[in-house]
Amino acid sequence: MSRISLTVHPNDNVTTLLDFKTEDWLTQAGLALQETIAFGHKAALKPILQGQAIIKYGTPIGIATQDIPKGAHVHVHNCR
Amino acid sequence: MSTTADEAELTFAGYARSRDRVGVRNHLAVVSTVALSNRIAVIAAQRFGSKEQQPVLAVHGQFQRGLQTPDARLQDRVIAQLVDHPNIGAALVLCHDRRAAQAWQHMLAQAGKPIEVLAVMDSQGVQHAIDRALQALGRLSVPLKQLQRVACRFSSLSIALECGGSDASSSVCSNPAIGRFVDAAVAHGATVIVSETAEFIGGEELVRKQSVTPEVAHAIVERIAATEARMSKDGDSYRGINPTAENIEAGLTTLIEKTMGAVCKIGNSRFAGCLSFGQEPTKPGLYFMDTPFFSPCSITGMVAAGAQITLFSMGVFNPSGNPLAPTIKVCGNPQTVEHWEDGIDVDLSGLIAGAIDLDQAAQRVRQAVLGAATGAITKTEAWGEGQFIVPQFLPSF
Repeated sequence: MSRISLTVHPNDNVTTLLDFKTEDWLTQAGLALQETIAFGHKAALKPILQGQAIIKYGTPIGIATQDIPKGAHVHVHNCR
Repeated sequence: MSTTADEAELTFAGYARSRDRVGVRNHLAVVSTVALSNRIAVIAAQRFGSKEQQPVLAVHGQFQRGLQTPDARLQDRVIAQLVDHPNIGAALVLCHDRRAAQAWQHMLAQAGKPIEVLAVMDSQGVQHAIDRALQALGRLSVPLKQLQRVACRFSSLSIALECGGSDASSSVCSNPAIGRFVDAAVAHGATVIVSETAEFIGGEELVRKQSVTPEVAHAIVERIAATEARMSKDGDSYRGINPTAENIEAGLTTLIEKTMGAVCKIGNSRFAGCLSFGQEPTKPGLYFMDTPFFSPCSITGMVAAGAQITLFSMGVFNPSGNPLAPTIKVCGNPQTVEHWEDGIDVDLSGLIAGAIDLDQAAQRVRQAVLGAATGAITKTEAWGEGQFIVPQFLPSF
């Protein structure tokens, strides 16, 4: 059992979780999730430093407000 | 998608029309130019359809009299464009009074298709008006039946893009799949129009990056700013309340993420121009059209501008569509696909399951477009779903 996630653009540094199996912490692509991540939410594909851009659709959609480890949930608590 | 084999594949069977245009339908239509004649139009269409076994498309909206001049002009222009639309083979144009009928007769004199204009008030009774409409439809249907589909180039297609009921699946399934299709479509010389200006708020950088010239980008960004200013007039800041609490719960973090989720349906293509409501592009490419928020209204503008097909991206179900330009419903949410199977044309839920990739998803969109262009009936057509709505800018009382 592993999580379904979709990375839209090759340059993205986040991937979107697209299933409800939140008890599983490994994606099918082999990314080890650091926490429980809900349907439609994002996980970091690589470590992202504070001040760096969050890239989705190949475009910056926000800035990391703290260091984000690989596999961590990326949302309003660490990105704006 | 640039090999010769692909070129051969990228043809469809359509109807040759005036001005080198192509229709994907050969509708016998009754167009009601004012809400007063809507009922007669609908009854005539239904009776002719059941008597003659030939379906008639009733084209009607809440078209008004007594609008201020700019709004009256826009409404007249859109109605004229709908009559002129390549998906209509012949049209009965219904007016209320004789004077309006004379004006429409004059306005439609150059139409390159069989047209009859009828004033309801020229009749002696409701039944008489319906009978006259039925007789006119009988005459108009004769030349229509002789038209045959012919091989048409993909580049003769104009495609309207729309989305509704957006959720996390739209931003990663249906919209990017449509985006990939759009890149190929534009590369093959088709016309693609995207609208709903409010949806681009927060996407100004993308517009600057994906416009053919700085002038085009400037024109679009100006329309976005005007829309944001108008929306802020009632005291709300659109950026402040967006993404909404619901969006955040669903996983959307920033406004630009929400906007990007919607606008990724243009793929990597560049805007060739900025159009006003219903304005027809003069050459192929990707266009932005400045339209209001409500999707049936936005689609009306793009169809008036000549779009023969609408690609509609959904997360949760949305019944919106257009009766004149077959609306193809594309959905990637597995739950929606399961529950609303009878309202969806392209199932992309395999994308979430990992059963297909985005290229295969784009391929499915392309097949659905070519299929609908050649005559395959879409779900919205089967249900007779869809609306015509012309925006009104000035107060009428």
